[in-house]
Amino acid sequence: MSSLVRSFSSSLGRKLLMGASGLLLLAFLVVHVAGNLVLFAGRDAFNGYSYHLVSNPLIYVAELALLVLFTAHLVAGIVVTARNRAARRHRYAVKHWARGKSSKSHKSVASSTMIVSGVFMIAFVPLHLWTFKWGPNYPSSADPAVRDLYRLVIEEFRRPLEVAWYVGAMLVIGFHLWHGFASGCESLGVDDRDWLRRTGQVLAVAITGGFVIVPIAIWLGWVPA
Amino acid sequence: MSEATMTLTLRVWRQAGPDAPGRLVDYCARGVSPHMSLLELLDVVNEDLTAKGEEPIAFDSDCREGICGSCGLVVDGVPHGPQAATTTCQVFLRHYRDGNVITIEPWRARAFPIIKDLVVDRSALDRIIAAGGYVSVDTGSAPEANAIPVPKDEAERAMDSAACIGCGACVAACKNASAVLFVGAKIEHLTRLPQGLPERERRVLAMVTQMDAEGFGSCSNEGECEAVCPKEISVTNIQRLNREYARARLKPRR
Repeated sequence: MSSLVRSFSSSLGRKLLMGASGLLLLAFLVVHVAGNLVLFAGRDAFNGYSYHLVSNPLIYVAELALLVLFTAHLVAGIVVTARNRAARRHRYAVKHWARGKSSKSHKSVASSTMIVSGVFMIAFVPLHLWTFKWGPNYPSSADPAVRDLYRLVIEEFRRPLEVAWYVGAMLVIGFHLWHGFASGCESLGVDDRDWLRRTGQVLAVAITGGFVIVPIAIWLGWVPA
Repeated sequence: MSEATMTLTLRVWRQAGPDAPGRLVDYCARGVSPHMSLLELLDVVNEDLTAKGEEPIAFDSDCREGICGSCGLVVDGVPHGPQAATTTCQVFLRHYRDGNVITIEPWRARAFPIIKDLVVDRSALDRIIAAGGYVSVDTGSAPEANAIPVPKDEAERAMDSAACIGCGACVAACKNASAVLFVGAKIEHLTRLPQGLPERERRVLAMVTQMDAEGFGSCSNEGECEAVCPKEISVTNIQRLNREYARARLKPRR
């Protein structure tokens, strides 16, 4: 155990921790977006899915694991960023990306703003839980024991501001994943960079697309109330 | 042969000593040949300065043929200048146009303190090597060279990593001033070969510990280091360093 703690207190160890926690959080996002898309299968399917999810006692284990992962990823990210800033006390008067001289660099706006897109989640995640997890508990007409989450989602995403905020937040997450997937894998020692970058970009677009299609479809009135 | 000459403005970082405040100072170089290298241009400017009784610009250089790793300047915001796979001494004025302004700064990293002007102290890299970047050989006669067979492709890969000249451009280019490309190249070079295997765990742990103690940052996996590396050391070395480090940490110790 002490060896594990020591591992994570080195510069490489902190990045291993960030990579592993980030990839597990990404796996959660894949499950989450798949669940969201059940909404298109209709009210009963969506409410049934959410009921089975929250009535399983393992949900508490999963929630605890997510909280630990999220906290670890965030804290490691802040610590790593602070130390990285400290590693260069005096800035360059003129500094340009070296991408211009060799295609070997994958530096992008996304890779340069990971801490910004990451810290943004401190604002988004609690509000998101407040809106949905701890939001109004409508009983469904079919079975009062089953929560009518479908109704809540439709109500929320009939409001343009709610749609804009949510879509914006998903774009920020997508931006984070654009660099995050490849970077996390590389921190864990996977060494096929070009494949990782392409896969990360496909994943970022697919996950963001899956998340934003739900509010947009509801807002456009494509989903029956 | 007609000799077109150029007039260039050099905007150079001047700093009298480690703790002195620094600033960019403009120097105009008139009538210089496009065949000169950037370092030769600095030599010309320095002769002028010396003749005028001013302090010449301090900068590092040695072989001036791109192999030693002594020179290293951030030229217009990019370590070793605009060309890929090139050291600063191989940047020639023909890459510039008459009237250009060229900004020259030293490597900037907490682990590379400025000694004077463009000269930085890169001994942090030497201390990382001293911590474990070697293969221990007991004294006695040299072992027979072919006693340990090394497959050709493994030898080639080790050589690719061993091409690192330790100039520090990777650190200078990295937004985090991280030295993992340097450390990765050394680890990979030694661990690829059978002679380096007996000490592999001790080596990677000691070198990473020293790297952290020197105050280098972490890797953000952007690859700016490889883009500026004059020897085109691949970031694959960093991923292999990550694996090697995790392996050494996870391996139960006696």
